[in-house]
Order: sequence, then structure tokens, then C-alpha cells
Amino acid sequence: MRRRRGMPDIKEGGVNVTPLIDVVMCLIIFFMLVAKIGVDTGADQRISIPASLQGTDIKDMGNTLTLNVQPGPIDQPMVTALVGGVQQEVKLVDSNTGQKPLLNTLKRFRFGYDLKPGGTKDSLDNPDFKVIIRGDQDMECRFLEPVLITCAEAQVKNVSFNTRKVVEQP
Amino acid sequence: MKIAGAKKVHYDSGPNMTPLVDVVMVILIFMMLVGQFVGAEHYLVSNLPISQSGAGGAKLPPGFIPDEPLDIRVDSPTPDKFVAVAGKIRTGDAAALTRALRTMRQQLNAAGKADEKIQVKIGPGKNVKYRFLVAVYEAALNAGFKKVAFATSH
Repeated sequence: MRRRRGMPDIKEGGVNVTPLIDVVMCLIIFFMLVAKIGVDTGADQRISIPASLQGTDIKDMGNTLTLNVQPGPIDQPMVTALVGGVQQEVKLVDSNTGQKPLLNTLKRFRFGYDLKPGGTKDSLDNPDFKVIIRGDQDMECRFLEPVLITCAEAQVKNVSFNTRKVVEQP
Repeated sequence: MKIAGAKKVHYDSGPNMTPLVDVVMVILIFMMLVGQFVGAEHYLVSNLPISQSGAGGAKLPPGFIPDEPLDIRVDSPTPDKFVAVAGKIRTGDAAALTRALRTMRQQLNAAGKADEKIQVKIGPGKNVKYRFLVAVYEAALNAGFKKVAFATSH
């Protein structure tokens, strides 16, 4: 077929970037699918968590509270968590006031602002509330125990332990 | 000064892709820098059993039949070792513990106890390191037990 007169010849004036765009677009879609952006669970990445082959993923992190547990002074654990948008230490017992901040925090998540079962609106119970323990792998269990007891006292039924995924060798 | 090829005529054969490439590259670098990849970590889920005694003791629902308990006691004779004891099982090796617990589970199944009705409770000593606790926990899961939880230290 004869080419129409007046149509200019197509000439490449530089580097063909089409394959680059293809690859970059694929990479972007990959990152969008597998990366969690802007999700701050309060997990302290400096803590060296234990490794495990077994484990499940938690899809909905919205109804969880991550407790970073490390050995603290005087045989007490040092617990930090993201509470009210601020990463802070949540003491088991406040020596100044005698109150139990960790227990109260867990109860607030579990039972609402009245800190006890029952209630409506702000005091509505949250039976699906989950606690994630992120403990140092070399921490002794005596530091972990009071945290678990506090979870039980707050009637948190679902406690998960954050571990590092180990790929099974063939 | 004449530059070779300067007189060469160039025709645009489509939309200008340069701004798109710029933007896409910026997005890509942003995602690579701020993204946390899923898959590096996971969770061992522990469902606390209903208990009348101890912390968080609750009223048992009517007709509630408690699960068959299976206690695993974990101790650390030295800081870098652990010993798990469950009935006649006594081992410090996670793989051996898995095998022994699997045999025990099969025996319980044969005796009419379904996996869903067996509650494994791991009771660590106070000086046992957390990673050993996780190793025992994982051994119980590998053995096929469905309900695994922690008991308080002994």
C-alpha cells in the first residue's frame, strides 16, 4: 500500500524509554501490593525478636496493641506501646500513684472508657481486641510473665507473639 | 560552531513520556524508602483458655466442658539450653520434642480426644529465655496441636 503523501517519517530522536517505563510500572505495582506504607503499629524495630518457622499473618492490625517487652530494672519488664498516637512506656505499676497503667490501658481497649464489662458507645466491649507481644529473644520469662498476667486480668483472650520468619531450608 | 546532526529533523511520534518517567521514578524511590515489607515477620497466636481461677478468672458458661489439659514444663539448666518436660517426655531438642508430642497427640486422638479439645499449656521457669519458650511453642504447633497457651512460671 502506498503511503499517503504528507505523512512525516517517524524517527526516533533519543533513547527508547518504553521498556524502562514497563519495568518501573511493574515495580511500582509490586511495591504497592507488598509494602505497608504509613502503618505504625508501635513495634520497636530495635528489639531482637525470636525466630520461628510456624506462624500466621494478622491481616487487620487496626484492633491490636503491640507491646514491646524488654528487661527493665528491678526485675520488672519495661513495656512500651503506641498509646494515643504516642510511643510511650506503659508501666505495670506506677510507684508514685500506685496505679496500674498497663492494666488500665488494656482494659480501655478491651472494655472502653468504663474499664469494665458492659456499656454502650464509648464503653462498648471489644471482645476481638488482640495484644501482640514483641519480646526480646534473650529476655527471661520472669519479665514476660507479669505482662501475660496483666493481659489475662484485662480479659484479653487473644495474645499473639511476634516472631521473625525463618525460611525452611530444602 | 556546527554540531554534527544538529540539522537532523526530529519528529515526535507520541506523547512526551519524560515527565511521566520522572514522577514514576520519584514514586518508586519513595516506596522503596518508606515501605515495610510484609513477610519478614509473623505471629504465633495464643488463645487463653477459659479459667475460673487465676488472673482474669471468668464464670464458666453453662454446659462448658473443659479441654483435656497437656502441660509442658520448660526449664533452663544453663542459660543456653532448655529442657521440656511433658509427662514421660523429657528433652532439650526441639525436633525430638516435636516428634514426641506428635506421638502423644496421636495417642490422645486414639483415646477419643479431638485436637480441638486438647489444651496445651506451656509453663516456663522464670529463668527460661523467651526464644526457648517460642521454640517449645512451635514444637507443639508442629506436632499438630491446635490450642496452645502459656501458663505462669513455676
